[in-house]
Amino acid sequence: MSKKKVSALDMPDVPMGQLPEHLNLQRTRLRCKADAPIHTESIQYSGAYASMGVDSSVDIKKFNSNFKVEIVRLTEDEIEFDMIGIDAALANAFRRILIAEVPTMAIKKILMVNNTSVIPDEVLAHRLGLIPLDADPRVFEYLSVKSDQLKWLPNGSELEIATLDKSSKVKSYTSFSCSQNSLPEISKKPLGVKHDDIILAQLGPGQEIELEAHAVKGIGKDHAKWSPVAATWYRMLPEVVLSEEVKGQDAEKLVKKCPVNVFDIEDLGNGDKKAVVANSRACTLCGECIRDVSEGLVKLRHVEDHFIFTIESVGALSPDELFIEAVKILEEKCHRQIVQLS
Amino acid sequence: MNAPDRYERFVVPEGTKKVSYERDTKIVNAAAFTIEREEHTVGNILRMQLHRDPNVLFAGYKLPHPLQYKIIVRIQTTSQSSPTQAYTQAIDDLDKELDYLKKSFEDEKNREEEKLRRGY
Repeated sequence: MSKKKVSALDMPDVPMGQLPEHLNLQRTRLRCKADAPIHTESIQYSGAYASMGVDSSVDIKKFNSNFKVEIVRLTEDEIEFDMIGIDAALANAFRRILIAEVPTMAIKKILMVNNTSVIPDEVLAHRLGLIPLDADPRVFEYLSVKSDQLKWLPNGSELEIATLDKSSKVKSYTSFSCSQNSLPEISKKPLGVKHDDIILAQLGPGQEIELEAHAVKGIGKDHAKWSPVAATWYRMLPEVVLSEEVKGQDAEKLVKKCPVNVFDIEDLGNGDKKAVVANSRACTLCGECIRDVSEGLVKLRHVEDHFIFTIESVGALSPDELFIEAVKILEEKCHRQIVQLS
Repeated sequence: MNAPDRYERFVVPEGTKKVSYERDTKIVNAAAFTIEREEHTVGNILRMQLHRDPNVLFAGYKLPHPLQYKIIVRIQTTSQSSPTQAYTQAIDDLDKELDYLKKSFEDEKNREEEKLRRGY
């Protein structure tokens, strides 16, 4: 009797070109066990699993068809949105750019005229630098000294002083290419400070502070005062799976353990109760549900290509505009690499 | 006292090229690209994109020292492609992906604002 030869790579339950279920899980899900997570690396290599006939290369069409954005919450200060189909490297790049490379306006130079308060000049200057300003940085350019601003002084030094009195004869340290009122973005809504209840210094009787501050466009890499976000973070979508049925008392215990109500009780006809996963998105991976139960009963997993981003903006730009600026900055970085190479 | 200035992290000084290229003498089709004033933000993305290319055999990046602001990306390809080609192809693909990402996000944002305006 001759048996038909079947290739080991082409078994009927796992045909050629597909991965068996456990390998697929390893590849696309990060599993959080009680002591540490496993399978944390994202397998991007195009030749991974090549011996099983799986083509892991990703071209632009595959990316476009897999990619999705879903905005969950959008307010004036905060945005929470999901990005599905990107890699951890891209998510981290956006987070790094949002914190350090999206430009804003912040006070850089302070000309102190009079300070008789108890706060030293430099401490006051530091505090002024950290104030969030309500100025759209896209309207401004970076500060650069152009050579036409250098002027020969034949009679020696004549320091030009900027003071708070507005006489037009007195020249100032700064010069703008056009008057600020002529730009529509600024004349519609004048530049100012975002929150007007920040205490800079407490003054006693007879003390006064008189100063002039110059705000300049900069990026967070230079100094944290130029960072446009209060906090920005991402997490991967959690997936909670019960591998066995949990009934009765055990079900109630399980539901009580979770501080964010991931589990819920489902009544099965005859007075019997069963625990089901109601809201796995809220899971914070505290690990309470896997602590005292048998291992493998509750499986905590993360989906490796689904990122939940939260961006809290300080105020100059709205959070969705911030994200679009971050994408533009990343694009510009890529352009610069190619241009410089050729 | 010895700390470099903060602007050194992103300002390329006069005379140094942003990207330079050095062929590997011992292995065919391998090269090392040195990118000045960049760090993990660009390096990790470039490495990920190079891995997706089926012609690339080896792709990795490193920062030689955290106080020297540059990355070295090492690429080895099959004979059907060359490291420079893989590099430019990866950056081109990244550009297109980011374009698509930006457009999707703007579409989704407009949809969300429409929903908010209609009140549900």
